[in-house]
Order: sequence, then structure tokens, then C-alpha cells
Amino acid sequence: MDWSALHVSLTLAALTTLALLPVGLALARWLAVTAWAGRPVVEALLLLPLLLPPTVIGFYFLVAFGQGSALGAWLATSGIRLVFTLEGLLLVSVLVNLPFMVQPIQRAFAAVPHSLREAAWVSGLSTWQTFWRIELPLAWPGLLAGMALTVAHTLGEFGVVLMVGGNIEGETRTLSVSLYDKVQGMDLQSAHVMALALVGVSLLALTLVLAFDRVGQRGRALQER
Amino acid sequence: MQGLQVQLRSASPIRLEAEFDCGAGELVALVGPSGSGKTSMLRAIAGLWTPADVQGHIRVGGPAWLDTAAGVQLTPQQRRAGLVFQHYALFPHMTAQANVALAAGPGWTVADVQALLARLGLATLSQRRPSQLSGGQQQRVALARALVRVMPKPTVDDTPTPQALPGVLLLDEPFSAVDAPTRQTLYRELAALRQKVSVPMLLVTHDLGEARRLADRVVIVDAGQTLQTGEPARVFASPRNARVAELVGIQNHFEGRFFKDHAGWGRLRWTDAASSDTGLDLAVFDKNKIDDGTPVTWVLNGEQVDVMADGEAPSLAPLGHTRLRCQLLEVLSLGEISLCTLRPEALPSQTITLNLTSRLLQRLQVVSGGWVQLQIAPEALHIMPVRTK
Repeated sequence: MDWSALHVSLTLAALTTLALLPVGLALARWLAVTAWAGRPVVEALLLLPLLLPPTVIGFYFLVAFGQGSALGAWLATSGIRLVFTLEGLLLVSVLVNLPFMVQPIQRAFAAVPHSLREAAWVSGLSTWQTFWRIELPLAWPGLLAGMALTVAHTLGEFGVVLMVGGNIEGETRTLSVSLYDKVQGMDLQSAHVMALALVGVSLLALTLVLAFDRVGQRGRALQER
Repeated sequence: MQGLQVQLRSASPIRLEAEFDCGAGELVALVGPSGSGKTSMLRAIAGLWTPADVQGHIRVGGPAWLDTAAGVQLTPQQRRAGLVFQHYALFPHMTAQANVALAAGPGWTVADVQALLARLGLATLSQRRPSQLSGGQQQRVALARALVRVMPKPTVDDTPTPQALPGVLLLDEPFSAVDAPTRQTLYRELAALRQKVSVPMLLVTHDLGEARRLADRVVIVDAGQTLQTGEPARVFASPRNARVAELVGIQNHFEGRFFKDHAGWGRLRWTDAASSDTGLDLAVFDKNKIDDGTPVTWVLNGEQVDVMADGEAPSLAPLGHTRLRCQLLEVLSLGEISLCTLRPEALPSQTITLNLTSRLLQRLQVVSGGWVQLQIAPEALHIMPVRTK
């Protein structure tokens, strides 16, 4: 077992989830209620990471932030290096995980009947109070599902991590990349352990997602009565 | 001064021409078919819906909640509207007590909320969530939540005089989602509530019977317009125009033409839509409101029609009464009452529907296909111009 890789993987998953939560929450709530005509475009952009090969995302990231690019060079003068660092990995990880975080939260907010918002307003609650006291408590299963999916997907990400992170031990070598190394080195014993660990974590995350989803559905069923 | 005054006008997204008022302690029902705009009017009062081009005002007591001339438009939070939603819109993650407490002002304590719930028969259910309550119980929680919104202080006590409150109570088809026995109980509770709080109450309903039973006055709404306002009995007996008559479900609604006769009397010529040559004349009062020869629609109030056996009728009708020989086409027995369809001999293209007691039919010894005499008092005929604003 590559403990330092496990550490990198868990750190990356935790930081990605934490960084993505406020962004995803704001985006999801907005998408759930907006009547803006451009909404499908935003939704398509958010879903794009699901369809694009990870190598495409990694490639554009390198083009944008590499030493050769103006942006990369400018960042380098400020002492910020994003290519082959955990910080860079975190940034790209947030991007590719957007659909995993936003989708379940958006669905949860969309399932809150608009009449409940109106009932809160006529009861004297401001828009913010309505969000905190009514919408968020009702949408929390969606939030938990989004977080679980993000953790699981980050642990399993491979292509982007390899291209952007560059397989540096203790810094950017995650469990999935380490597994690849072990197979290359014919260390199948270690590969088995890591593969099993990844299977276990993903299965746990998916089970949680489905369980939360059921809680959410029950909540929705209540509201429709 | 504590009453509600509404005057709204807008062209889009839906046409709206609403004008009505509701005194403190009065219950006014907005009645109309679905899609007529009655719920939109309610939502406009609560501040949940304001068309961009709206003109007019909404006042409660003195202050304006909306006054387009003065540029006043309060948010839903600033208005004191207690709104009972059609499906109650209770917060599913909160207990009944929390649902009510959330809408209560700073003058309310938990004990006050609990006392109000107890008054509504929810004392033992206050810690339940909406999903653990029956439809009727949910409706009472929704009513409590609306009530605390219009009551700045928790003082619904047993004083004989109802208190005047600064808000309005808005009820959006509140009885549509509960079963019939529960509805009867809720009707009684609403009546009891009116003894305690003096606040304008607006009830939106498509159920005419409900409006008739609960409301002091009804406002007939159609296509975004308030067509007629008045006491239920009056609106039902004298609809202002043909559309109102249709909306309040009046049977025996016909076309014709009004002619002036000798002093104070007129002739209503009941005509056939197909040919105006055939027709029969009915004696009516001339109230000097309708010009000679005007096309009219008119309503026959079946309760003021006497039915006699064909051979039994005296040869002369009382002064001003019209005698019509009719064939009984169909008798639908509904227990005590039978729904009878009759065809006038002189105008066979038309039919009259009367609710006759089964006892009367037995006494007349008449069955389908037989003949009877109708004696129509002039009071039974209500005449309206074909189109009025």
C-alpha cells in the first residue's frame, strides 16, 4: 500500500469537496430557480467535463498555465506554479467535479415547491432567511449526495491527475496513479490492495448517494401531498 | 376604515380588471371558474404577483400596500397578509408549532403559539410534522400560521367583541383538498373564528354552494374581471348580465326581446334563436331600465312558478301572471326532489327545467309525456340586457 499516495488522494478529495461546496451550492440554487434563457448553455458547460476525455481538459490546462503561456509566466513571477503541483491539481479537480456537485444539489432545490418559498415570504421571512430556514434544510440530502459523489470521483480521477499533476510522489501522485505505476512495475500484490481500497470507497460513496436520494424523495413526496 | 380596498387594472400577462372591497370582519368570496384570475387577485393582494403594467391600489385600513399613482409597492414581507394556500404549503421539515411560530411576530411567545394551536384543536398535535397530520389538521395549522401573521399580539380571547386587526386573511380554495365531513367541520370553525377576529377575509372558491354558505358577499370573477358584487342571494337571484347568470349556474336562461306595454308593464317576447317569428309573450314589470324592442337575455326563477294539472287550472290567471301549457318531457327523480324538463306548447324548441317535489308530481298525477299548466308570476322573470359592461 502506497500510504503517501492515499494521503494525497484523501487530501485532494477533501480540499476539492470543501472548495466546490460553496461554488456548487450557489450555482445549483441559481440554476434551480432562474428563468433566464441562457440557462441551458450554463448547464451544458457544467456537464461538459462528463463527456470530454480527461486528457483534453489536462491538455488545455497545461496550455493555459504552463511556462510557455503568458498566464503561466505571469503567475510564475508572483511565485505561483500550477503545473505539477497540488494547487494546480486542486484547481482542475474543482473544474471536472462541477457536474458531480451541482447536479444533485440543483435537483434538490428544484424539488422544493415554489409555494413553500412564497409561504415563507408572506410569513415575513426575507429571501435569505427563506434560504437558510426552508430551502437548505429541505435540500440537504442533495448536498450530501453531491459531496459524496465529488469525493468518490476525485479519488477515482486518473487522466487529468496524470497530465496536470505529473506523478510526483507525496505531492501529486494519487492512489489511482500509484496503482497504474504498480501494475507497470508488475507489483500486482500492491495493485490489488489499492484497487480494492478504491472499489470500497466508491461503493460506500454511491451507497450514501442513493440513501440520501431516497431521503430526498420521501421529503418531496411529503410536500406534494 | 380597517377594510380592504382593491382596484387593479393590467393588460398583460393576463387581463385584469378588479374592483372590490371587504370590510373588517366581513367574509367576501371571489367566485369564478378555474383560470378566471381569482387566485391571481389573491396573490396580488399578498404581494406575490405584481404585473409590470399594473395600475391601481390595494389598501388595508388606511395605508396602501400598493399604490401605482404614489409609487408605493410593499414586499410580501411588509404586508400583513395571512395566506392559506390551496395545498397549505406547510414547511414539511418543521413541526406544526414551528410552522406557526415562524410567522409569528416578536410579541408572540412559544406559549402563545401553543395556546392558539389549542384553540384550533391542535393541542396534542403541535409537535407533529405536516406528514403526520390529516388534511383537516394540516388546514388548521395553515390557518393558524395565517392568523398569527395578521395578529401583532396574541390576544384571541373570549371577549364578546371581536378585535380589529391590521391585516387581511386570504383563503385560496382552502376546503378543496379535504373530504366532505371534514369540510363541514372546517366551515363551522371558520364561522366561529369570525366571532373572534375582525379582519377582512377573502375566500377564493369555484364552489358556488360554499360561497353562498360562507360569504357575506360574493364577487363574481371571469376572465380577469370582477363582474358583479353583492350578497349571495341577490347575485344569484338577479345576475347583472348573461355571463354572470351562466357563471352562477342558473337554469332556465333564455333569449328574447323586451317591449313596453301599458303603464308599468312590459311584454317579454320569448323567441326562438332560429326564427324570431315564432315566440310567446310573458307579462313582466317595466322598470324603465330597458328600451322598447331591446334584445335581452332572461332568467326564469323556478321557485316562483306554480305548476297545476292540465284540467285543474282556473280559466283566468291572476292579473299579470302568464299561463303556459307545457308537456312534461322527462322526470329525473332525485329522492325528495325531481328534476323535470318541460316543453312549452307554443314554443316547442325551448325547454324549461324545474325542481319539483315528488309529492307535487304525485298529486298532479302526471308522468312523462303528460301535460301541465305553468303559472308564471312577473317576479319570476329577471331580464338583463344582452351585453353590459
